[in-house]
Amino acid sequence: MSQRAVLSIDHLSISFGGLKALDDLSFTIFDQEIFGLIGPNGAGKTTVFNCVTQFYRPDAGDVFLTVDQSRLPSRDRHLADQLGQARLNLVGRPVHSIIKLGLARTFQNVEVVKELSLLDNVLVGGHVDFQATMAEQIFRLPRARREEKVYRAKAMAALDFLGIGRLADQLAGGQPYGVLKKLEMARTLMAQPRLIILDEPAAGLNDFETEDLAQTIRAIRDQYGCAVWLVEHDMRLVMNVCERICAISFGKFLALGAPAEIQGDKLVQEAYLGEQE
Amino acid sequence: MSTSSTRTARPLSSVLKPARNAHVQFLVFGALLCLLPVLAQAGGLRNSTLSTLAFVLIYAIVALGLNLLLGYSGLISLGTAGFVGLGAYLAAYFQDDLRLGFWLALLAALVLPTLIGLLVGVVSLRVRSIYLAIASLCISEILLKTFEQLEWFTRGTAGKQSKYPVVFGLQTDRATMFVIIVIALVVVMMVTHNTVHGQLGRALHTMRSSEVAAQAMGVNVLKYKLFAFSLATLYAGLGGALYLFFLRSSYPSTWNLFMSLNIIAMVVVGGLRSIFGTVAGAFVIFAVPELVLKKLPVIGDVAGLPYIFSGVLIVVVIMFFPAGLKGLADLVRRPFQRLRGDRGEAGPPAARPPDSDRPSPPGAGRAAADQTAVKEGRPA
Amino acid sequence: MDLVLQPFLRSLETGSVYALAALGIIIVWRTSLVMHFAQGSMGMFAGTAVAFVFNRSGMPLWQAVLVGVVVAGALGFLVDFAIIRRLKRATSVGKEIITLGLIMVFLGLAPIIFGTDPLLLPRFIASGDVALGRANISYNAIFNIVFGVVVAAGLFLLLQKTKLGLAVRATASNEPTARLMGIPTRTVTLLAWALAGVLGMLAAVMIAPTTTVTPSFMNTVQVTALFACVLGGFQTFYGPVVGAYLIAVVGNFLKLYVSSVWGDQLMYLIILVFLLFRPNGLFGKTYLQKV
Repeated sequence: MSQRAVLSIDHLSISFGGLKALDDLSFTIFDQEIFGLIGPNGAGKTTVFNCVTQFYRPDAGDVFLTVDQSRLPSRDRHLADQLGQARLNLVGRPVHSIIKLGLARTFQNVEVVKELSLLDNVLVGGHVDFQATMAEQIFRLPRARREEKVYRAKAMAALDFLGIGRLADQLAGGQPYGVLKKLEMARTLMAQPRLIILDEPAAGLNDFETEDLAQTIRAIRDQYGCAVWLVEHDMRLVMNVCERICAISFGKFLALGAPAEIQGDKLVQEAYLGEQE
Repeated sequence: MSTSSTRTARPLSSVLKPARNAHVQFLVFGALLCLLPVLAQAGGLRNSTLSTLAFVLIYAIVALGLNLLLGYSGLISLGTAGFVGLGAYLAAYFQDDLRLGFWLALLAALVLPTLIGLLVGVVSLRVRSIYLAIASLCISEILLKTFEQLEWFTRGTAGKQSKYPVVFGLQTDRATMFVIIVIALVVVMMVTHNTVHGQLGRALHTMRSSEVAAQAMGVNVLKYKLFAFSLATLYAGLGGALYLFFLRSSYPSTWNLFMSLNIIAMVVVGGLRSIFGTVAGAFVIFAVPELVLKKLPVIGDVAGLPYIFSGVLIVVVIMFFPAGLKGLADLVRRPFQRLRGDRGEAGPPAARPPDSDRPSPPGAGRAAADQTAVKEGRPA
Repeated sequence: MDLVLQPFLRSLETGSVYALAALGIIIVWRTSLVMHFAQGSMGMFAGTAVAFVFNRSGMPLWQAVLVGVVVAGALGFLVDFAIIRRLKRATSVGKEIITLGLIMVFLGLAPIIFGTDPLLLPRFIASGDVALGRANISYNAIFNIVFGVVVAAGLFLLLQKTKLGLAVRATASNEPTARLMGIPTRTVTLLAWALAGVLGMLAAVMIAPTTTVTPSFMNTVQVTALFACVLGGFQTFYGPVVGAYLIAVVGNFLKLYVSSVWGDQLMYLIILVFLLFRPNGLFGKTYLQKV
């Protein structure tokens, strides 16, 4: 595993109505690693996420993402180093510009379009890659048709990879929860991200599905060569699949290390006392 | 993970087939409609009925724009009538006052309403989607007053008179204008179909379903809302121009809130996100009161009847039949599809109407409930 | 005649009308998250009922208004009970479309039930006025202004000081949580719709003497009340009330001193431009979406 950082969170703070939700939080996620963020309820896990993806604007601190040259916005081109990569600060960028830089996410509550087929839902994940202009799409000009074909194949591959390819033409509405979770992951794969954030992927899954999820996460990392960051409640999944784990409590950093180290950490144990799973 | 074994063979060359099929359907539909003026000339159809049908088609064009907005993007506009009226007056002004001919008149009727629509959208769409409804109502009120007061442009309440246009050197009449309307409708149907079945449509879908998810997928929500609204105003302008060319007159009182509400009724009754459904909805809302209700004994004379008809239909359809006429058609078609063995082994086809009551697993239900809570975004 | 004070006093009177209608819209919005587009039409319907009863039965105006309260309350109650709350799977947009449909229903029903002849409704206080400096104000105008302010103030007291008000505010701030805390949010919502109906009816009865009672006599009130909510912001109960008075005053002065024809339209344009700079309204705050 390379030790190059893909995402660095740097002294991040945010408060809501005087309550500090995140307090000077820093950690780094490396390329192609499976990273876990844990903490008791209300620790601010999802807030970290939302600060990274710019749904919330942090009060202080920075979020640096390593971005490939091909994905750099034109005004940031000059920042690329000799490897053709650049570390961009995400803070202040529009929410919809984040996925383009190589960071894709799923949602705690599964946000898919019920009225669209699974395949169409996955295609939404490739939104930023579509080059055809609105006019080209409206009149179905050659470039629009070509792209549709290419990305359909790619979306199909993502669905197949996650084992739900046979459902491609069915509507997302009414599918079992496990399928929808996989659908969301397939959608993130469409963006060919360097980092995928999974927001409580095990929530609502049974033991069998959770076991399957662990395998899926590893397969995604191996096949698509991206880092995976889990924000998770299910300790077994985190301990099973993550290579490094960061624990936080009340928005503050507690510990960072391999699963065994975290399990043995005094502070972490204290934080979880009283809230046994 | 070895999942390739479950992979079904899906020839990618078939990807574009649905689009072509739909376009063929639209063309056949248009060809059939073009037979109506012939029928009328042969005496098989009353001229007044032909006119009513022409208005149905014009309103269908406008309603298709609103369906893009309401059905796909989940936005309400209450200014449709104002934009249609603006299109009508612009067409008349450019054709009859400036004598610039059919094409420039049509262009003006398309471009100016769209530009105003864009401005209204920029002002209102940045906060909550519902602001668009109020801002468009606002602009519609302003336009209505303009139609009444700006005599040099509209001739005020006396009404603007016009004449059949000359298209490609050909003096049109009722029958040829009908054909031109049909051509416009078919083009609009095709454009709408392309719009909603490509990446554009998927982006609009995602935006309606969840703005946060759309943003996370890289959809610039404001841009797509603006796109939907300006396309809707473009259709409205087109509908206005065709209205004027066909009726050859325009009065300010036509372009009031109730026309906007009727257009909404067409979309709702026809079925959100359905192209043929919208045309059917336009027929039900406009032609049924005109051709049927008015001829009924006793209640036919009641002035408010068309209003009640549209209003009650809106309420009833949303309450009991959210998929509208489109859902009805699917319901009728399904047994036949089953007979033909169209069902894939994987389950019901994707054309399943959204209101179908198939039980969903508790997890999915909960997710849906959570989604609504998020979507409604109560103030923090 | 005082050319500033006189129109100002007159604006306060129309402002009261707009404020009551806007209050109805905001109370429904806060409890049901639905934009109540039919507020004006329901007010029109109930107001026409008052005029009808008053003209037909010869009962005193205040009794006719009491009948109106019952009719309007029942209508609001019915709309929520029979329609809105049954729409479990519909989005807010779906419910808003329903209120748009209701506009047409009430507009079509009014002439069928109450006849097509325009009706007249007298003022509460038939005659008499007082001099205020060089301006005159009728007793009826004073009554309307005071009445509007009292109703608005009474509502705020109700919201702030009573248990019912607490329930309304809790529902407004977070319906699911309020429900989990044991607040009967369905009853609260029902009351909100009924109250909105009554407020719309009162607005109609107050504006009626200046015009004739026809199906379109509430159109301006309807539109202005919506704009008042936008101007004042949807997050507070007092914002729309302030917005209503502001629109009345500014609109009146624009009509008097800029253009008698285009005054209202200028006002609408100003609101649109204002939105550009303060999208959340005068008293609105930006809100954080939960993700």
